[in-house]
Amino acid sequence: MQPGWLRATWKRQTLLVERQDGSGRSWSIWCHNRRMTQFLEDVSIPIRPEIPALFAREWSRLAAPGSYWSGRQRIEMAATAREARAGSRNGNSSLPAAAEEAASLLGARPAGTSRSWVESTMVDLGSGPYIEIVGVVSRAVAVDTFHRAIGSPLPRLPESVAGDPTGINDPAARSGPAWVPMVGGASIVGALSAVPPEAEAQEDMHGPLYLTYQQMQDLGFVRGLSRPQMELVAARTSAINECFY
Amino acid sequence: MLRASSENRGDALDPRAITDPSIDPLVEGGSRLIGFVDAVLGGGNVDGRRASLGTALGSDAVVDASATIANFEMMNRIAQGTGMPVGKGSLAQTEEWRSLIGLDRYRHR
Repeated sequence: MQPGWLRATWKRQTLLVERQDGSGRSWSIWCHNRRMTQFLEDVSIPIRPEIPALFAREWSRLAAPGSYWSGRQRIEMAATAREARAGSRNGNSSLPAAAEEAASLLGARPAGTSRSWVESTMVDLGSGPYIEIVGVVSRAVAVDTFHRAIGSPLPRLPESVAGDPTGINDPAARSGPAWVPMVGGASIVGALSAVPPEAEAQEDMHGPLYLTYQQMQDLGFVRGLSRPQMELVAARTSAINECFY
Repeated sequence: MLRASSENRGDALDPRAITDPSIDPLVEGGSRLIGFVDAVLGGGNVDGRRASLGTALGSDAVVDASATIANFEMMNRIAQGTGMPVGKGSLAQTEEWRSLIGLDRYRHR
């Protein structure tokens, strides 16, 4: 392994190698000597290596079959959310209409959701498929938002990986006070727990971008920002999104 | 978390800045941080706000602010997409702040 390279593995069947370019500020995913996606182009400041490594993992998850949707469909969800945020729709999606609507609304106007809309969407799609859309879109938006904030073009969406959905779900999930079934009591950490790979991906994102669930207990945590500064950013973001969370 | 972390450090804080950017939050670099969030999510001059933030707090702060915005873009969508309720304990703890900054107008509780 040469200096400037990181190795990331995901689900054993996928091997990714990310190269730090000469500037130290632009990152690529390389697989079998072919560059698949470049992250964080034209960025003028150094980025913590865990962030591009995270994005490589997320793009691998996005491209692969999920519990209920194919890799191609998951990428179409991310593309639909990206287009909705940009105020454009290309209409080329092969997603069912309810799935396309969900990806669009969650991507561009998440405050527009309601219990009746979620229940209606779950009648059309099933609760598990809907929960997977929430996970896929929310993480794709996070990757895009970081690129916009840091001053980089959005990364190209990945090529899909062939294969059938895995069907992985948690049969212990039950309806409760939230709008979707989940395992255990209602909590933001367990929001996607009915579809375990989506809950695991949420936790994987949370650490590098903000704090691990364990680090959240440390009110004195300091990195580039102090904890009150981080929380101010979080609170303002939630206010703009009209989200009590 | 904002209130708890500020109290932990003994820092001053005006939470009204969360919903009213014209108010100084009293957190170091707070107005620049809010200006950066607003530019990223509202289509403003992101380059200018990023440069201003970097000058005031440094490039690591720009990275952390960008990452925090990204994380809460994700978490907000998860909360709003799943209808995550806020627990009775949290509602009781935040009653004063909710009234002060008008959080009760948001539906997801």
